[in-house]
Amino acid sequence: MTVELTGQEGLRPRARTPGDVLLLRWLATVDHKQIGIMYLMGAVFFFLIGGVEALLIRIQLAQPNATVLSPEVYNQIFTMHGTTMIFLAVMPLLAGFVNYFVPLMIGANDMAFPRLNAFSLWLFIFGGLLLNFSFLTGHAPDIGWFAYAPLTEQPYALSNGVNYWILGPLVASVGTILTALNVIVTILTMRAPGMTLTKVPLFVWMSLGQAILIIYAFPPLTASQAMLLLDRELGAHFFDPAAGGSPVLWQHLFWFFGHPEVYIMILPAWGMISELIPVFSRKPIFGYPFVAASTVAIVFLSMTVWAHHMFAVGMGDLADGFFAAASFSIAVPTGVKVWNWIFTMIGGRLRFTTSMLFAIGFIAMFVMGGLTGVMVAVVPFDQQVTDTYFLVAHFHYVLFGGSLLAILAGAYYWFPKMTGRLLDERLGKWHFWTTLIGFNMTFFPMHILGIIGMPRRVYTYPNLPGWGEINLFETLGTFLLTISVLIFLWNLWHSLRNGEVAGDDPWDAWTLEWATTSPPPPHNFDHVPPVRSRRPLWDLKHPEDPDWRHGE
Amino acid sequence: MSGAASAGLSEQQARAPMPVPSGADAALARTDPHKLLMGFFISSESFFFLSLIVTYITFHGATGPQAKDVLDVPLTGLFSIALFASSGTLYLAERGMHRGNRAQLRLWLLVTIALGAIFIAGQAYEYHHLIDEGVTISSGLFGTTFFTLTGFHGLHVIIGLVALSILAALTFAGDFDEGNEMPLTTAGLYWHFVDAVWVVVFSVVYLWTLVS
Amino acid sequence: MRVGRKGLMHRRRRWGAIALIVAAGLLAWPATVGAEANPMFDPQSGRARAVVDLTWVVLFFVALVFIIAEGLLIFALVRYRHRGEAGEPRQTFGNRRLEITWTAIPIVILIFVFILTVRAMRVIAAPPAGGDALNVTLIGHQWWWEYRYPDLGIVTANELHIPAGKTVHLQLESADVIHDFWVPQLGRKMDVVPGKINSIYVQSDNPGVFDGACAEYCGTQHAWMRIKVIADSPADFDQWVQAQKATGAQPASPDALAGRGIFLSSAGNCASCHTINGTANLANVGPDLTHVGSRTTIGAGVLTNTSDNMARWLTNPQQVKPGNLMPDLRLTPDEVRALTAYLESLK
Repeated sequence: MTVELTGQEGLRPRARTPGDVLLLRWLATVDHKQIGIMYLMGAVFFFLIGGVEALLIRIQLAQPNATVLSPEVYNQIFTMHGTTMIFLAVMPLLAGFVNYFVPLMIGANDMAFPRLNAFSLWLFIFGGLLLNFSFLTGHAPDIGWFAYAPLTEQPYALSNGVNYWILGPLVASVGTILTALNVIVTILTMRAPGMTLTKVPLFVWMSLGQAILIIYAFPPLTASQAMLLLDRELGAHFFDPAAGGSPVLWQHLFWFFGHPEVYIMILPAWGMISELIPVFSRKPIFGYPFVAASTVAIVFLSMTVWAHHMFAVGMGDLADGFFAAASFSIAVPTGVKVWNWIFTMIGGRLRFTTSMLFAIGFIAMFVMGGLTGVMVAVVPFDQQVTDTYFLVAHFHYVLFGGSLLAILAGAYYWFPKMTGRLLDERLGKWHFWTTLIGFNMTFFPMHILGIIGMPRRVYTYPNLPGWGEINLFETLGTFLLTISVLIFLWNLWHSLRNGEVAGDDPWDAWTLEWATTSPPPPHNFDHVPPVRSRRPLWDLKHPEDPDWRHGE
Repeated sequence: MSGAASAGLSEQQARAPMPVPSGADAALARTDPHKLLMGFFISSESFFFLSLIVTYITFHGATGPQAKDVLDVPLTGLFSIALFASSGTLYLAERGMHRGNRAQLRLWLLVTIALGAIFIAGQAYEYHHLIDEGVTISSGLFGTTFFTLTGFHGLHVIIGLVALSILAALTFAGDFDEGNEMPLTTAGLYWHFVDAVWVVVFSVVYLWTLVS
Repeated sequence: MRVGRKGLMHRRRRWGAIALIVAAGLLAWPATVGAEANPMFDPQSGRARAVVDLTWVVLFFVALVFIIAEGLLIFALVRYRHRGEAGEPRQTFGNRRLEITWTAIPIVILIFVFILTVRAMRVIAAPPAGGDALNVTLIGHQWWWEYRYPDLGIVTANELHIPAGKTVHLQLESADVIHDFWVPQLGRKMDVVPGKINSIYVQSDNPGVFDGACAEYCGTQHAWMRIKVIADSPADFDQWVQAQKATGAQPASPDALAGRGIFLSSAGNCASCHTINGTANLANVGPDLTHVGSRTTIGAGVLTNTSDNMARWLTNPQQVKPGNLMPDLRLTPDEVRALTAYLESLK
């Protein structure tokens, strides 16, 4: 830095420009790679907050009739844990990878609208800070991430916590929508010559699916949050049953957003898995058209299943039956992907890098989360286990065992591209095993807890047979998870400074991001290789057997 | 690492067919990204309005003063005509720009802004009148849903007016003399969308009172 | 990247195997704990049994798919791990016929499960043969349950008495926010939604006491909104009905008499929220206390109903159940003793 300040050859001192200050170079950036990294750093920051909240939850629940946290504090903590992990951890983690890698993988030099991209990032950061600022007021939201009316209305929630819950995520989700629009236009208009829509990498394809879901699922959330704010601050009556308003309407609007949100949180994760399983199996993805088409099916179907969150509301058998059928139908395109991934491995030569281990862990855990997902679509079973710990187990197998493990697989895979250095494999393997065991210790027993009668969102519970032991066991699992997170943080820090230098293409991979330097220059590519198939770098490396000769 | 990546194109590679864009790919290649962005943005916005409209319909017939008791359909109809007409005048402005007719562009752009402003003035008058009658956002479910739906629409019209005013100022400053049509056509997409939303809102809120 | 040294690989593999075995053992343990006390799989009526029967079928298919998927995954990991072969494996791109097969089979299974689902739903929602049901209205409050028997003229709280072998038509209403009535042994849960009247059929074929809880998050004390359903034999139920219909017992001891005085006095302030039949007030902000002495718990399950616990509750309910809507009345120990004697006498 300071050397540059003296100007070229040190002849004439140059005026100090914003570009010279490291911090400003990040804060003022519109480069998709820097924005992607800032998304990831922001998301890790909020993930750690959400993780501490999870730890507090488990400490309180380790024993029956515990008094570590008061009910008021516990309710704030579980609300903030859910809201934070969904809006401020998983989504921005994915947004970080999407921002960084979608332009690289399609051979573009940036997103279509770089300044809009930076704006979205800052909306996420400030939305997240605004939500967490509520802790400083002493009244964080205590209404659950789903914020069911009328518990959120004035007579029941007098503190400003609900308003923070509305405004923080509202600001962040405007950023989310803008990013999604940006991603859509980028993918549709900025692909390298030859990369037709049927030849984009699956990570790009699924990011497109995610972006399309975002732009249609988030506006109803925004609308319902606006209505709730009007109820609370201007005396409107949308969700106020005393004046004829409808608490059930809130649930419909919320879950119209809330269920696609589940797919929003996992589509790019599937995309990551679909990229790196082939690379570490040394074979192309099994059935690309099938995986791509099932993604399209999911995008459409996921907008028709929302009320399966409401089987206990009393909608009647007709509505319950419809939403059960719709939920069964979405299980098919979701489930078949698992076979595609497994059959990609079959016949391959598997390299068990840490990245691959996390990807395998993802498949193993996601199968579990997917199958319990089918179970809760079975209306009578759901009417037993909904709002119990069975559901907590189910969606943690999807979001932690699914999304988060995939994100970690992606982190080990792409860290070298982003930083030029490999993450440490030995630490990585410790990280993987502590994560996998800690995760299963924490969440597998929750299935049992739900079935034996423990409701969700309780700050404590009576000392019924088995409840205390199982909860204590889960809390021990959480401590192991805490260790795993610390190992990962140490690995990031250590490898960033001392890691093995990666080179451009450490995994001998096939998509365009590996055709440039690690990290890539600001303009990404000096020269974009020709794209004639879904694996342009395979074609370059294997001129004797290029994919385009197979019509792929 | 094999050195293949840096080895450049083999002879065979160079002769391999490059996929030719067709269908959607070809159409996308011709599309202006700004218009594409606006297109997806307004389709996203339509889900926002859909939520408000569904909510309005859900509470139709709830207790309290109703649309048919308090709304002046002919008067709002008159103001609505101003808004509908503004889509036509904006089209004329765009055509003027397209033909390089600066006078036509400026004239019709100003007329569009004036028509939009008339609509907003009408809405302000209507609100004032309703609030005088005791119909407010907190007076009952009709007020709640009516003011929220029409209010958010009005907000969108005002945002459109700001955008068009900026464009008009730039037009007079000569910014679009060189044939850069993107800003106006993109803002135009938004304006036509806001107009189309009003067609639905006007039908659901006002015209519905005539049949029930 | 690719670890070349064989010894290292062996050691890692052994570590992995040990970790897997330990993990599997640790995971099996909660399942055995759960099997000992498992209300959902201990159904007490035809409706609850329909859920369990359906669940076993679903579990069968789920286990089948789970075993196939995880088995194939493990097979792939063992069989196709890189063993140092040179070059790339054969590049294959898919198999259309295989993919159609693994799409079609789940569709068939799901259609089958859906048919069973609809059948079970109809069993659960069906009114009892002959339409003979006891009507009970449940009203959810933050954070307790009110039960009204409109045909019997009984009002009680937190503990629902039903006659064994007879269907109860339970109508669910809320006084404030959304709650949810859930007693796993008796079948489905149902939300208690303000402004919407839901109803379910509840039955226990045999006498017994069944635990349940509010299952929808309803604010600060959602945790202590427990449910107890007591299924009495028909004779016991009739006896209970007769006892409940009686007005509150007249205080017999001097302490209890003093307690009634405090209950009705403005100093005690009890009567502005609670009703005791026969004392001429009808407030129902808090639970009806006409027969509070006959109930087994206090504060919707937070304490068992003993004199000591009642005294503890009265001394400071906010300490026992923080955030509940009964304020700390700052009663003196003498007042607490008198009130306890009075309330415990209300059998």
